[in-house]
Amino acid sequence: MRRAAAPAALAAVVAVLLLTGCAGDQSALDPKGPQAARIARMSWLIFGFGAAILAAVTVLFLNAIRRGPGEEPRLSERGAWRFVIVAGVAVPAVILFAFLAYSARTGNIIATPPPDDALTIQAVSRQWWWEFNYKGRSPSENARTANEIYIPAGRPVRFELVALDVIHSFWIPNLHGKMDMIPGRRNTMWLQADHPGVWRGQCAEFCGLQHALMAFVVVAAPEEEFQEWLARQASEAVEPADAATRRGREVFLGSSCVLCHSVRGTLALATVGPDLTHVGSRRTLAAGTTPNTRGHLGGWIADPHGIKPGNHMPATQLPAQDLTALIAYLESLR
Amino acid sequence: MNGEPVDVRRLSVYHFGNQGPLYWGILGVLAIESVVFGSLIASYLYMRMGEVQWPPPGTAEPKLLLPTIYTAILLASSIPVYWGDSGIERNDARALRWGMLIGIAMALGFLALKAIEYSDIDYFWNSHAYGSIVWAISGFHALHVLSLVLKTIVIDILAWRGYFNAERRLGVTINGIYWHFVVVVWIPLYFLIYWSPRML
Amino acid sequence: MSSPETAPLHDPAAEEERQLVRTWRSPTGFPGWFLPVNQREIGKRFIVTAFGFFIAAGILALLMRVQLAHPRLEFLSPDLYNQFFTMHGVTMMFLFAIPVMEGMAIYLAPLMIGTRDMALPRLNAFGYYVFLLGGLLLYAGFAVGLAPDVGWFAYPPLAGAEYSPTLRADFYATLIAFIEVAALVAAVELVVTIFKQRAPGMSLNRMPLFVWAILVTAFMIVFAMPAVMVASMMLALDRTVGTHFFAASGAGGPVLWQHLFWFFGHPEVYIIFIPALGMVSSIVGTFARRPLFGYTALVLSLIATGFLGFGLWVHHMFTVGLPQLAMSFFTGASLLIAIPSGVQIFCWIATLWMGKPVIRTPLLFVLGFFFIFTLGGLTGVMVASVPFDQQAHDTFFLVAHFHYVLIGGSVFPLMGGLYFWWPKFTGRMMSEKMGVASFALLFIGFNVTFFPMHELGLIGMPRRVYTYVEGMGWDNLNFIATVGAAVLTLGFAVTLINAIWSWFRGREAGPNPWNGDSLEWATASPPPVYNFRHPPVVRGRWPMWENPQPEDRVTGLRPDRREVLITTVLDARPQGIAVLPGPSIWPFLLALAVCVAFGGFMIHPAFFLVGFFAAFAIVVAWHWPGEEERLPPWKERTRE
Ligand code: HEA
Ligand code: HEA
Ligand code: HEC
Ligand code: CUA
Ligand SMILES: [Cu+2]
Repeated sequence: MRRAAAPAALAAVVAVLLLTGCAGDQSALDPKGPQAARIARMSWLIFGFGAAILAAVTVLFLNAIRRGPGEEPRLSERGAWRFVIVAGVAVPAVILFAFLAYSARTGNIIATPPPDDALTIQAVSRQWWWEFNYKGRSPSENARTANEIYIPAGRPVRFELVALDVIHSFWIPNLHGKMDMIPGRRNTMWLQADHPGVWRGQCAEFCGLQHALMAFVVVAAPEEEFQEWLARQASEAVEPADAATRRGREVFLGSSCVLCHSVRGTLALATVGPDLTHVGSRRTLAAGTTPNTRGHLGGWIADPHGIKPGNHMPATQLPAQDLTALIAYLESLR
Repeated sequence: MNGEPVDVRRLSVYHFGNQGPLYWGILGVLAIESVVFGSLIASYLYMRMGEVQWPPPGTAEPKLLLPTIYTAILLASSIPVYWGDSGIERNDARALRWGMLIGIAMALGFLALKAIEYSDIDYFWNSHAYGSIVWAISGFHALHVLSLVLKTIVIDILAWRGYFNAERRLGVTINGIYWHFVVVVWIPLYFLIYWSPRML
Repeated sequence: MSSPETAPLHDPAAEEERQLVRTWRSPTGFPGWFLPVNQREIGKRFIVTAFGFFIAAGILALLMRVQLAHPRLEFLSPDLYNQFFTMHGVTMMFLFAIPVMEGMAIYLAPLMIGTRDMALPRLNAFGYYVFLLGGLLLYAGFAVGLAPDVGWFAYPPLAGAEYSPTLRADFYATLIAFIEVAALVAAVELVVTIFKQRAPGMSLNRMPLFVWAILVTAFMIVFAMPAVMVASMMLALDRTVGTHFFAASGAGGPVLWQHLFWFFGHPEVYIIFIPALGMVSSIVGTFARRPLFGYTALVLSLIATGFLGFGLWVHHMFTVGLPQLAMSFFTGASLLIAIPSGVQIFCWIATLWMGKPVIRTPLLFVLGFFFIFTLGGLTGVMVASVPFDQQAHDTFFLVAHFHYVLIGGSVFPLMGGLYFWWPKFTGRMMSEKMGVASFALLFIGFNVTFFPMHELGLIGMPRRVYTYVEGMGWDNLNFIATVGAAVLTLGFAVTLINAIWSWFRGREAGPNPWNGDSLEWATASPPPVYNFRHPPVVRGRWPMWENPQPEDRVTGLRPDRREVLITTVLDARPQGIAVLPGPSIWPFLLALAVCVAFGGFMIHPAFFLVGFFAAFAIVVAWHWPGEEERLPPWKERTRE
């Protein structure tokens, strides 16, 4: 019974795990780009080998302690040497050497720089949100956004990774492994999404209080849709269309918001917090923390620390109508 | 395999050289200290490799004259210390007393010249990374020289009181080993701080 | 043999024993607590204190598991969570795993090599107080809300003054440097004792494997710990006096810290692991009821692991953006280290296979170790691959890897060792039934807790997150892990109860209840204060199994002062006698002074000088003659 405990426990654990499945929009096991696919392929191979080695070791040691009553040992001194040399040295040496070669090759392939048609995005991280800069052909075509990126599906994208305060790490598991963003160093990485889709990226290096809620959305769009999106992001904020949003803009420009945020096309030009020029078009708020809905937006402005304790945006108390107007204005910034 | 007791009644309780446990203990301490200095040296070189200009712009290359003089003094201080050490082996307490005293004076000379050098330097530990590592290495080594001085003063006081003789000299031996270590370890540091910026 | 108290006065053996007890016993009563220097007393203190810290850190882990059981729980604030995982990691690594291994080594190694005490007993006591004071200070900081919250490897700039302005990171930087002093002291101590005080005849190639493991570990400590002391002092200076070692704009930068930290940090995990390998060897040989197969291969594997351990550190930095080729080199080195591990596992399996194993609790834990450690080692091999690690790094996959190797590779053997040597420590047996129950709970609980974490990491969950949003698909696996942690705790609790039960009710053990092979079993359980009345003489690798003759003894050590035999390093031929010092308050005072130096440094650098001079004064007082006058004048070179 005691001997059955190990395999039984393992079987139970594995069964439970299989039930929970492994697809997801932030998963290394559900690759959507060439690099992630290569890594995933290698992963499955080594999981297979690992399971086989583990099973072999388990069988061997269970077999080694099994004895019928009065049974004599079944392994001779010479047999033991042969066993240790084969199982402990020869076989592992072969496996490990093959693995080293395979791993190095995979590493080189996925690190090879992309061909020239790559798009370059500068990703800037700070406690605890992301800024993304797209360089256009002229300064007026430069786009700046936060916590959400679009990339063209099927085209390689190059990321320049910049950290402004502490170390962060840029990671979109469905597309590629992670790369650290280290203040004072400039790392780059490239990746590619094979098909359109929406995934999530998350900061993967502990960066302080809100490291947990520092994510972003990645949208791979067909080339045309991507260009459209980019043009919109590069443009200035839309003019308020009605009284409510006009009032909202007044509230925005009249409160502390302008000390930290910019809305291009207005006098708000600060860069302490995320660029809000097109905040209404984003899927989430506060670096992937909540969906971008009217209710959450209001909640965020009134009490950011209730949603993301300790983040660097202070709460702002506004009269109810002003708040409503402000929300309407921000929502209109598409 | 016949049992047979091992009688140790006639073994000595005095040990010199690599017999005694303390000798190995001191080796352990020296190994630790070497790794400490090694880590500092590695850090210095790591910093140096990452920079185009070293010392950084605005900071002059370290001057050579004064450091070379005090390095020579420190190296030479091993001689009287060695003389004292070997003196007591021959039961010559006078050699020990004066050897230690001269050694202390030379070490103090080293520290004094170093203080003069550093009082005249135009950057501090908080000026830039170069300043940090240079001050750290020098300061850490100077702390060692200071503790040499303090330890040796104690030894010398005992020596003047006639405590040591050819048999009772473990403290002297250990102090001597440590002295030579602190002296020798300065040689790579000297080349690192004063010559490597000119050559690397 | 009759006990010394009841024996007639004229019995010379009893008289000698009484004399020995008087010479070697430690003072009792309150002030006496600060005086003892005997190796077993210090070892016991190390072990008990370390387990105290283990329970503290384990409770922190449980609270973290509760917080993670469900998305967006508000059980712990992010601030608390960050302190908890940092304290959990720091405590487990620096205040539990290393000290408990040191404690086992300090208690057992001198017994196994047949000597009466360690070579430098007062230094030994000093090391213990440093460990205790450092740990208490860290937890005092915790109690007043100043626990470090930057993770156990405290990367700057996050741990620098700008982003961690409070004293929290100072507690980390200065106390790490301080606590390492204890490990360094113990390491030197152990090397000297093992080199110079082995029983006559115990040449190096007859040393028990546990002692070999301790020797290798001690060397690793000597060559690894100073790096982290230097690094953490640099960090402390960056924080207190504004140096620029790790400033992002400076020449060193954050990556320098990473190199220095991991140059220590990788060997550190083997420092925790290698003593456990020694325990496995002791247990396997005893319960297979035959000499270990492949003694030489096992020794060489330990040494190889020790050496290779220094060439792997960059595998913790695969996502820093270093050149590919350099990283491949470290992949290669990391894979290479799998071979000595494998050799050892297969030697043990061969031993069991060739022997007639009896399955008792200690062996069960070793079997658990085979399974769990192999799994953890295999995931280690996986993360040694650069591309795979780019996905797995800093995720729960890694958390799974290191708990598999730390708990499977280190805590399981330690539990086995505890069951194995408990009778030696206390003179009583633990309950076998409770032992088996504890093992089953721990084995199942462990796998249920940590196996799901592999998948969690692969499906995107980073480590060190205090919460996560809904809809990530992480809920179930996290919940399972939390339930597993409860089972795991129950498993530890059963052993705790077992220990308490055995303390009062356990069956008398006798000197050698398991029929073990090495010398700790040659003396009573628990051993007398002087360990051996007549230290043994050794004629083979497995002295207890080789028909020990009662005459195979060292005679002529004086009972009226603390004498131990000194032997040569290679062959252990008798060479001399060392007279050891007895109880003393200086070690405690010195530890206090050093504590002022490091603890005060957080507040003002001047404290460092105060502590330095206080420590110097204490060292002088400690060594002031009077001590050496214990020795006879030179003329009587021999001691009759
Ligand atoms: C007891 C502690 C311990 C031990 C023994 C190990 C053992 C190993 N570890 Fe682990 N490791 C840690 C504790 C430990 N580790 C910790 C604490 C961390 C994280 C620190 C942190 O970030 O907080 C870590 C992190 C860590 C990393 C960094 C990952 C990252 O940060 O992204 C890597 C990468 O290479 C690694 C690799 C290995 C390897 C290759 C081994 C090998 O030694 C394993 C060798 C053993 C076997 C392989 C099994 C037995 C062998 C056989 C049965 C033979 C047959 C095998 C084959 C053919 C493969 N470890
Ligand atoms: C030897 C080392 C060691 C050990 C034994 C453990 C043991 C455990 N660890 Fe450990 N862990 C680390 C070393 C260790 N850990 C390190 C180095 C880190 C990284 C830190 C960092 O990122 O900086 C880490 C991080 C870490 C995390 C990740 C945190 C994060 O990244 O967000 C988690 C989460 O589940 C976790 C859980 C556990 C659990 C549930 C146990 C359990 O095994 C604990 C069980 C033990 C007990 C509960 C105490 C004993 C109990 C009794 C004697 C019974 C009586 C007590 C009661 C009834 C309460 N650990
Ligand atoms: C002191 C600086 C500061 C002030 C003042 C401030 N913010 Fe912010 N704001 C931030 C920071 C920093 C963030 C990013 C927080 C995070 O995700 O960690 C942020 C995030 C936001 C977001 C979410 C953006 C996104 O892309 O997820 C919105 C919307 C927002 N702020 C609106 C406002 C409004 C409206 C005001 C005024 C009422 C305001 N902020 C005032 C600093 C500030
Ligand atoms: Cu940014 Cu973690
Ligand atoms: Cu490692």
